[in-house]
Amino acid sequence: MSPVDALSGRRPTRPTGLFLPALLGGLLVVYFAVPFAAFLARTGSVDILGGLSSPEARTAIRNSLLTAPVATLIATVFGVPLAYVLARKSFPGKRLIEGLVILPLIVPPVVGGAMLLTAVGRFTPIGSAAAAAGIPLTGSLSGVVLAQTFVAAPFVIITAQSGFSAIDERLEQSSRSLGHGPLATFWNVSLPLARGAIVAGIVLTFARAIGEFGATMMVAYNPRTMPTRIWVEFIAGGIDAIVPLALALFAITLTVLAAVQYFGRVPTVIER
Amino acid sequence: MILDADSISKRYGDDLAIDDVSLTVDSGELVGLLGPSGCGKTTLVQTIAGHVRPTAGTVSLRGEDVTEEPPEQRQVGLVFQQSTLFPHMTVAENVAYGLEATGMDPERRAERVSEHLDLVGLDGRREAYPAELSGGQQRRVELARALAPGPDILLLDEPLSALDRTLRTRLRDEIGRIQRATGVTTLFVTHDQEEAMALADRLVVMDDGQIAGAGAPRDLYESPPNSFVADFLGRSNVLRAPVDGSDPLTLSVGGRNLQFEPATDSTTGDAVTVRARPRGLSLGVPDDPDAALSVPVTVTRISDRGTRYDLICRTEDEELIVEHEAEPPEIGESRTLSIALDNLVVFDDGTGKRIDGTLSTLESATPTAQSDGVGDDEEGTRSSGFK
Repeated sequence: MSPVDALSGRRPTRPTGLFLPALLGGLLVVYFAVPFAAFLARTGSVDILGGLSSPEARTAIRNSLLTAPVATLIATVFGVPLAYVLARKSFPGKRLIEGLVILPLIVPPVVGGAMLLTAVGRFTPIGSAAAAAGIPLTGSLSGVVLAQTFVAAPFVIITAQSGFSAIDERLEQSSRSLGHGPLATFWNVSLPLARGAIVAGIVLTFARAIGEFGATMMVAYNPRTMPTRIWVEFIAGGIDAIVPLALALFAITLTVLAAVQYFGRVPTVIER
Repeated sequence: MILDADSISKRYGDDLAIDDVSLTVDSGELVGLLGPSGCGKTTLVQTIAGHVRPTAGTVSLRGEDVTEEPPEQRQVGLVFQQSTLFPHMTVAENVAYGLEATGMDPERRAERVSEHLDLVGLDGRREAYPAELSGGQQRRVELARALAPGPDILLLDEPLSALDRTLRTRLRDEIGRIQRATGVTTLFVTHDQEEAMALADRLVVMDDGQIAGAGAPRDLYESPPNSFVADFLGRSNVLRAPVDGSDPLTLSVGGRNLQFEPATDSTTGDAVTVRARPRGLSLGVPDDPDAALSVPVTVTRISDRGTRYDLICRTEDEELIVEHEAEPPEIGESRTLSIALDNLVVFDDGTGKRIDGTLSTLESATPTAQSDGVGDDEEGTRSSGFK
């Protein structure tokens, strides 16, 4: 740093060891940005509102808005307690369960969908029983929810688990010693303290669920959701045909993210 | 009796964290639980609070067996070494938290919160969040939170160990004041003997999962039941004393022969250990007739402790520490240390247990030995030759 820099109050720029990592990272950021910009550049020539007003598009939007929140809700209601148990208890077979939880992340979604079919397909005991009861598990909105939950739930489980693990167990012990039982302690102490991580997990799960294509295509190609509709339109009409739905999908996810950040006051999606 | 922990053992795998420990605390008492890190103090406290289930033994509170009761039903206040204030609640909310569980009406609850924040001198910070408080203030709020529900016993698990020295001393005194003001029965865990001696009515010393000694702080300090307690409660000078004759039992201490009459029949083997606290030693004149034991030494090091000097003195083969308040001698000076016999405590060399008994000088040997002055080896030979 020269005296002049010090006098002018500028921060000395230090060309230290960060140059190479910044260069490598920067290249990746450019790689993210270019397709995004190129795709958005197409929007000028396409009638977006017109594209979204077709009955097929409207049905797809409605189906996606019905299924993704339900899948997210299921993943949260069952996943957060699971995350808490995994964060707090050690028991034989815990490793196995943790492995199972990340399995949907490492199995290709389309394979995951096929696996779901073998478990709940129309000709399986579960599938036929459910169909007989009037709830077909394939080719239905229930099927869409099943596929989305399977693929997206790990996000909220893993994020919430790391959130719970970060809480000093002694805070929970203090709460117990202050007269609050395990449930009250979870509700009053653990849940609020892991809130940032849980909310981040919920957002990731929702984004993954509403964009889910591979497993959904296997389990419930019909009724169409936004991603499956986008596929159908792409086959028929190419890139320009899918711009309206793609933008709508993107807008929904962004809106949810913004709303959650606003109401949940979470600084960034991945805080920890 | 508020707390009665009876024959508690806790095993983690192959590791015995506490081994058959019994501990009682009476109503209103402040008991110090003292021991080095890893001795099982925290496990014991966690067992009393109900966060750890003992492998064996029972915990009774107010005369009721609570071994199977969950923590929330024990009415035990708990303060840890690290802050466990709930970061998402204000100071007042933290203190009120334990009262919510009691179903107290909101008005009474608010009163109690104020009372307890007043008690710790933090009523002005009730709307602050824990992160806005200093380390010392956090400790105070934690005390208030633990006390507010009116626990039957307050467990303080190394509450001051994470603080710097000045703050530690100040908060230590404050804990003493709060304990006297509320009269709450308290078990205070620490590894700091000074802290324990300053606060506790009674001390329990733990070593390696077992109780090494228990009693009033001063008694434990002055006549420790074993060499572990002697070492842990402050410094002591250790003198190996070979047994030099058996009838009467004669010990050779610092080159001088002393007669020892054990209070009970006990075998001593061929040597015992004699300990003296540094303040039981003084620099004497060579021919002091009052000193029962005078040991010629060379002053090798002097450390200024502010209110006194620590003199490190060497005999032929031992190093002794003397607490000295007057002007210190020069380094390298040869002096004589005087030790009164009632400052000496005898321990079994093998088991480390204290051997009660009376020490006295060998009347016949002493005059000759003293007139001869220095030269312990020679002197030792001569006095045994006299018998």
